[in-house]
Amino acid sequence: MADAVDVAGIVAWMNGFQRRVHLEVTYLTDLDSAIGDGDHGVNMDRGMAAVVAALGPAVANGSVLTVGAALHMVGMTLVSTVGGAAGPLYGTMFLRMADGLAETVQLDTDGLTDAFARGLEGLRARGRALAGDKTMIDALTPAVDAMRTAATEGATLAPALAAAAQAAEAGRDATAPMLARKGRASYLGERTIGHIDPGSGSMAFLVAAAREAFGA
Amino acid sequence: MIGLVVASHSRPLAEAAVALASQMAGAASVPIAIAAGTADGGLGTDPLAVAEAIRRVDTPDGVVVLVDIGSALLSAEMAVELLDSSAAERVALTSAPLVEGLVAAAVTAGSGSPRAEVVREAEAGLAYKQVQLATVAPQLGEGFPLAGLGAPQVQAPNAGAMSAIVSVVNEHGLHARPAALFVAEVRAVHADIRVRNVTTGSGWVPGGSLAAVTTLGAVKGHQLEIQAVGPDARQALYTLVAQTEAGFGDGAGSVAAVASAEPAPPAAPVLRAASPGYAVGPARHLRAVPIQIPQWEPGGPEEQRIRLSSAIDQVAQELGQIKGVALRSPGGSGEAAIFDAHALLLRDPAILAQVSARIDAGRGAAAAWAEVLGAVRAQFEALDDAYLRARAADVRGLADRVLRQLLGLGSATVSGKGILVADDLDPGEAAALNAEEVTGIVLAEGSPTSHAAILARSLGIPMVTGAGSVARHLPEGTVLAVDGSAGTVRPRPDQATVVEFKAKIKARRSALKLAAKAARGPAKLADGGPQVPVMANIGSVDDAVRAAGAGADGCGLVRTEFLFHALRQPPSRAAQAEVYRAIASVMDGKRVIFRTLDAGGDKPIPYLPVAPENNPFLGVRGLRLCLQYPEVFADQLMALIEVARDFPVSIMFPMVADVRELREARILTARAAFRQGGSVPEGLKVGVMVEVPSVAMKAAAFAPTVDFFSVGTNDLTQYCLAADRGNPAVAALGDALDPGVLALIRALTRSARGRASVSVCGEIASDPAAAPVLVGLGVRSLSVAPPAIGEVKEAIRAWSRPEARDLARRALACSDPAAVRALLAAPRPPA
Repeated sequence: MADAVDVAGIVAWMNGFQRRVHLEVTYLTDLDSAIGDGDHGVNMDRGMAAVVAALGPAVANGSVLTVGAALHMVGMTLVSTVGGAAGPLYGTMFLRMADGLAETVQLDTDGLTDAFARGLEGLRARGRALAGDKTMIDALTPAVDAMRTAATEGATLAPALAAAAQAAEAGRDATAPMLARKGRASYLGERTIGHIDPGSGSMAFLVAAAREAFGA
Repeated sequence: MIGLVVASHSRPLAEAAVALASQMAGAASVPIAIAAGTADGGLGTDPLAVAEAIRRVDTPDGVVVLVDIGSALLSAEMAVELLDSSAAERVALTSAPLVEGLVAAAVTAGSGSPRAEVVREAEAGLAYKQVQLATVAPQLGEGFPLAGLGAPQVQAPNAGAMSAIVSVVNEHGLHARPAALFVAEVRAVHADIRVRNVTTGSGWVPGGSLAAVTTLGAVKGHQLEIQAVGPDARQALYTLVAQTEAGFGDGAGSVAAVASAEPAPPAAPVLRAASPGYAVGPARHLRAVPIQIPQWEPGGPEEQRIRLSSAIDQVAQELGQIKGVALRSPGGSGEAAIFDAHALLLRDPAILAQVSARIDAGRGAAAAWAEVLGAVRAQFEALDDAYLRARAADVRGLADRVLRQLLGLGSATVSGKGILVADDLDPGEAAALNAEEVTGIVLAEGSPTSHAAILARSLGIPMVTGAGSVARHLPEGTVLAVDGSAGTVRPRPDQATVVEFKAKIKARRSALKLAAKAARGPAKLADGGPQVPVMANIGSVDDAVRAAGAGADGCGLVRTEFLFHALRQPPSRAAQAEVYRAIASVMDGKRVIFRTLDAGGDKPIPYLPVAPENNPFLGVRGLRLCLQYPEVFADQLMALIEVARDFPVSIMFPMVADVRELREARILTARAAFRQGGSVPEGLKVGVMVEVPSVAMKAAAFAPTVDFFSVGTNDLTQYCLAADRGNPAVAALGDALDPGVLALIRALTRSARGRASVSVCGEIASDPAAAPVLVGLGVRSLSVAPPAIGEVKEAIRAWSRPEARDLARRALACSDPAAVRALLAAPRPPA
């Protein structure tokens, strides 16, 4: 069990997220086909394949040494390879997570929570979405809250991320009854009710992958 | 001047919008950059691409960005943040509708207007449609929201104003192009101009606003009142009246586009199964820029002929490359022959004579070619024989390829992963299919005997033909369930069908996987002899992935000239190293043998030009050519050595005839290693291809200087038997199982024994029947087309070493290749 997150941890996290997205590409696409343009799974799969291809070698050959540099690379890679709205959204999230960590080699629970909170702020600003708009924010917000609560109580990474992953999944499932107000799904109006938001689906995977990489 | 950026999900959409805008008066000079689609040609947006597009058109005047739906706005906003702050301040994002907004913005920018005005005009781009359809109350005159140019918006004539009344003569009224020309004229004069539609009794609108002028709803015959204020009012009025009366030169036919005259399909097509398997996914239409034959082409007859012949040369070269792809697909050697047939059709003297006659009669190259090839295609279509009728698609494909080349149009692509929907596929398009992207194929026309069907089967892509015009009209992205075994297509399948299809896809995949599993194990002779590595011949990173998945024990031949064949300049060392490294890492620690650039002969590379030769196959090709370009060669060697420091890599030189050439190449290799950073990497092995018969006979002279020999049976056979593979009259002579060729291999393995290993990477190695003979001759490893790996391994496992040696002995004693093949086909006594 890791007590802190370092670049190798970020690589493991991203590798885990990539595997999950790749395995669930049909699931994500099906979610998106119901209320959007059906490309979220394929887009994320393409983006994460590029992240994994770039990040591992960069860490291995020493060109990426800090947590901030790794998160920055993830963000920039997603921005340029995803293709859909998830590119700028996830890209912004990781770039904001990287803020202030350019020289940081290890992150503890508080540090990781702060990073996630910055990422969430970035997402809110980029998408101008609020809680309840049926977006990825609805999965990330409860996750960050749960992490913050756990960190305040002095929890280590494992319990904090376990709580976060659980909260993200609950948040994702809670998007089903919501009415989409952002993005292309908003064109479908009432028809979006009853479907889980695809962005919240991938976001829940991202948090779950963090739990597996740092928490177990 | 303001620069414009179009940020769109779709490149074709963006390009078409830009084409519409650039047609407008005064807009042609406006710099417009496109950031559209994903890097792989799919639908999507990319903030970095938007930022780059902004940089391309950025000037001190600023940039206006138009976006389409969804993520385009997010990407554009992010792009602005990526710019440095002074550049970011010059950028304005607009909520304008993409097409109308771009047209208005281009016209406004073209007149040198400031950024704010360009944005205002763009955002008012819908005004005309809204007024016309009365979705908003007409607000002409005083209330008009586009109070541009500072002209006072009052009903009463201005003091000192001059005015004139003029009739609209344009067939479609003062819309679109004529309106833009009117606005352009207004902006060119030194006067404030306003205009109203006297016939409809509209209010005054500023003459310099395209959006405003189009809201006048001026149709043919309406009377406009034009009012001018300012120092040049008189001159301005004179010009505007004259231009309006002249219809802005918008005479009939000046922009007439010639539609391609498609004959009506003869009968309703019938759904047919063309390639087995199942697929569910979104419909992806194969989109191409439509070919429009220009009515006029520049230059006289001689120039037309030169343009045509260079287009034909270019297409012939492309076909050679596609043929290479076909050769590397399973069962593809038969398919490759079609490209030879095409090459003949391209040079058909009867066709060329007809085309030339039309050119002499004053037709342009494209028009003449289209007419003659259209007639040839019609002849095929009229035939009774189904197979020959299917060749009509080949003719269409070939004709279009040349036209695209002549007219500088790109070839057709799909927008992303899914089920390809098209009228028909020509063999070139089919050979370029990517099985990762295209999970199924539905053709409106086509037939199961077409080359597209054969290639689809070899790629394992399910395909249905004859889906009719329904297929053509499926909206992009409609989910389809394709059963390529039964020959059915269901649009918008219900949940149960999707579940059923996914189960079928899974079952089929696991059956294929089981077969592939057998391919992964080592191939050992039946008597437990040493493993015979079965490696893969590849020409791309994708091939490497496929080869690794198919159980390759390494790559025995990487055709490096294929990796960068599209380039006009030599690839940089870094770009090369990246691709070589990707291949080596895909092969996961297994040895990869890179053949250095093998150009010349029938494989020209743009950046390694060869002086014209009477007989290129006996001229400067392979290593001989590389030695003439030492810097290009050194870059490749350095890139390979860089990767060899981390992975087991071998370098192989093609077309070696003489020990001195090899020695020179080895010196260059050592020098490259020094320049790259030190000694020759320990794991690096160096070998030569055996394609020149004499090398097989004098292998003892080479053996001390090489780690391995790899027999390129294709060239070895054609040199040994003096039979050109590409010449149908003698191609049958060139059989790699000719006892003479086998004897050369035997001589080679004898000389090399104990000093260098011998492998075979020619086509014959992919033939499972030939594997035991080659092993019996002393060949230690084989390199084959990836799909053949499993079968070749199985063939090796079925033979013991003594049996293989005996078979080889008997093959060497045969009188001709037919006898050798009969020997291989004969049933073996049970072991």
